[in-house]
Amino acid sequence: MRVLHDRGFTVGAAIALVMVTVAVAAPLLTAWEGQDPTTFHNDLLDSARGGVPIGPLGGISGDHWLGVEPGTGRDLFARVVFGARVSLGVAVSATVLQVLIGVGVGVAAGLGGRHLDAGLSRLVDLVLAFPILVLAIALLAIVPPSWPRPVLLAVVIAMLGWGGTARITRGETLTLRARDYVAAARVSGAGPLRVARREILPGLASPVLTYAAFVLPTNMITEAGLSFLGVGVRPPTPSWGQMLSTATTWFRADPLYVAVPGGLLFATLLAFVLVANGVRRVLDPRQRTEVLR
Amino acid sequence: MRRTVPLTLAATLLAGALAACQGGGEESSTAAFDPATCQGGTLSVLNQGGITHLDPARLYTSGGGNIPSLLFRTLTTRNRLPGEAGTKPAPDLATDLGTPSDGAKTWTYHLRDDIFFEDGTPITAADVKYGIERSFAPELPGGAPYLRDWLVGAAGYQGPYKQPDGLAAIETPDPKTIIFKLRKPEGDFPFLATATQFAPVPQAKDKGVDYENHPVSSGPYMVAAYEKKKSLSLVRNPHWTKASDTLRYACPDKIEVTSGLDAAVINQRISTGAGPDAYAVTTDAVVGPEQLAQLGSGSELDKRVARGEFPSTIYLAFNTKKKPFDDLKVRQALSYAINRTSVVNALGGSAVAGPSTTFLPPQAALGYQPYDYFPAGETGNPAKAKELLGAAGLSIELAHENDDANGLGPKVAAAVQDAFKQAGITVTLTAIDSATYRDVTGKPATQPALSLQSWGADWPSGGPFLIPIFDGRQIITAGGNFNLAQYNDPAVNAEIDAINALTDPAAAAKRWGRLDAKIGELALVVPLTHEKDVYLYGKSVKNAVPDGWRGTYDLARVSVK
Repeated sequence: MRVLHDRGFTVGAAIALVMVTVAVAAPLLTAWEGQDPTTFHNDLLDSARGGVPIGPLGGISGDHWLGVEPGTGRDLFARVVFGARVSLGVAVSATVLQVLIGVGVGVAAGLGGRHLDAGLSRLVDLVLAFPILVLAIALLAIVPPSWPRPVLLAVVIAMLGWGGTARITRGETLTLRARDYVAAARVSGAGPLRVARREILPGLASPVLTYAAFVLPTNMITEAGLSFLGVGVRPPTPSWGQMLSTATTWFRADPLYVAVPGGLLFATLLAFVLVANGVRRVLDPRQRTEVLR
Repeated sequence: MRRTVPLTLAATLLAGALAACQGGGEESSTAAFDPATCQGGTLSVLNQGGITHLDPARLYTSGGGNIPSLLFRTLTTRNRLPGEAGTKPAPDLATDLGTPSDGAKTWTYHLRDDIFFEDGTPITAADVKYGIERSFAPELPGGAPYLRDWLVGAAGYQGPYKQPDGLAAIETPDPKTIIFKLRKPEGDFPFLATATQFAPVPQAKDKGVDYENHPVSSGPYMVAAYEKKKSLSLVRNPHWTKASDTLRYACPDKIEVTSGLDAAVINQRISTGAGPDAYAVTTDAVVGPEQLAQLGSGSELDKRVARGEFPSTIYLAFNTKKKPFDDLKVRQALSYAINRTSVVNALGGSAVAGPSTTFLPPQAALGYQPYDYFPAGETGNPAKAKELLGAAGLSIELAHENDDANGLGPKVAAAVQDAFKQAGITVTLTAIDSATYRDVTGKPATQPALSLQSWGADWPSGGPFLIPIFDGRQIITAGGNFNLAQYNDPAVNAEIDAINALTDPAAAAKRWGRLDAKIGELALVVPLTHEKDVYLYGKSVKNAVPDGWRGTYDLARVSVK
């Protein structure tokens, strides 16, 4: 595969693969460590000094591979790997949803009549103009607590972030529909649905895939941001953003507590950006020569 | 007591430790202090909460507050002494603590002769009466509800703007005498008279809701500039004399209050002490983990910490009218299962919180009597809880605030959840916006069956601690209810009335303690922790001694010279 010659892509894909594996295997990994993400360990904390973990480096030991969380004594490794599930899960599902909505709206706008196009395009403008974080905070603050949070987060992020995909899809659809083979299909009597499915969608795959690869890290940041601001997943469910949020008051007393979720978030984001870059170089026709060189 | 007024926030966050813990550090910084020669310099106050109101009618304070007490003198005030001795009121504008008659239903005060407003006008009894009447105006809400409940015929009074005839229950037979007629005996009246509602307000200068832009000072300082929620700048009041006020030392020439800062930033600035921050203090930013981790290790910071005690309890409140908490066994099981060490750690460790098995916090002035009917030990007794609940286990919901600022947030809730899990009890957490939390829990129609709550003392006595929580006649269905257990026992109500009639605080304290110990058997609440205060102060700040009433150092007594 051509893409594997891109060193950035290889490194990024490797990191991303490890993260996904960790997230999927979270229960196995914590079972191997012999811990779980919610049990408090008061005996590992120095209560008189504000609840910092006893011992160097945030209380790292054979039992607690990354130490424990200050203030609670919950196992940091277990919380990090379970947090990966939320962070990655929400980001991936939000991206998939965004692509589905965006492609649907974009193709409809591109193939539909002038009025449908105008209406949908203004809707896209509206979605793009909304300040996502503010609106998401407002939405998440009013929903009843009984609704499952990770699902809700994914849906809210997707609902507010599909504008870009729709805009790109529409543009690409307009280009494609002017092609001869599409015109030929129309002349031979194919309906709009068939044209969309058989002639347009395959041509959309590469630009949409490229764009999605860039949206995924953005969604991860949004999830972390929302959790950081306290409207993300509910305790005791861990997420990286939420961990960073509580870590802000501990960054001198227990630097590792900030470094672990922060470093992982950084590495994962970097990995996805590298992957996205690699995908773009291979799929984008204007870049192709560069990759082959 | 409520936590709506930022000025009182300082006090509601904790309490604690004892002269023994204060160590020699404070000694060395106060050794050179002399109230006679401490004058000069500018004190900087770095706070989280903005001063949303500066009108004495609208402030809800304990003992007159820290900043408000610099501007407003009241009939009585807290005596500003450290430790146990500091839990008593002292005369301020009045010559004594008041003379009760008619079985403590009438209280008479005489004003001093040498008291003046900032413009030089003498302060009269009519000014005090007018100040109290203003606090009844619906335009000026926010103060404590006691006066409306206590004064004869005050229940429907709408303030002097709508009813200029005033309150007949407050008599001013001459400019130096003021008499209060109460509906029922209230031995705690001298404690209530420390509230800012008892500050004099000259009727000629009253501008209604705009009065707070420049309230007329009766204290050692007056307002030079005030920007709501941002800053307050105080300078000396030329008509206040040291001879008329021995309680306030008024050392700094100027006091600059900056609000809206982050707690971590405040403590970092005070701890570093660069430039003007050497003269900085805070009234509402308790030390965070950053500083706690440095304390006690012999660092320089150890010499700049004030540890005090504000009577306040964090607890789990049951609604005993709702299932499954109508069952005493369930309430007992939860009392056994609780892990107080986890809660203490979630609140910031043993320096800022201590485990409580009693509803009254451990202050003698409140009548504290130790009891522990459902011994959970340090980390809970899940076996006993399981035995009480049987094989079925239990699944419950716990309401909490959505942020941790008041100690009722997700951190403490998660600690409670984990403790109950050990006993086979599944807890679902329900976060409620902290801005509306008390509105939701205070209305029986919307009240969750189980919620995290805190209660602090409006003054150091058992009454304001127990009455709103356990007096059956205080169940308010319209909202603002604190009797969350919906507990109404005529015998308890009668005992409350009997103690209220006592004018000897020591005798009253003993009976409040006994009442608390009696109610405790019913497990209407699960007491979790009592609060401890740990505040830092700047390198060049002297006499930052916490007073026994509020648990923080008194701005009227600190010096920067």
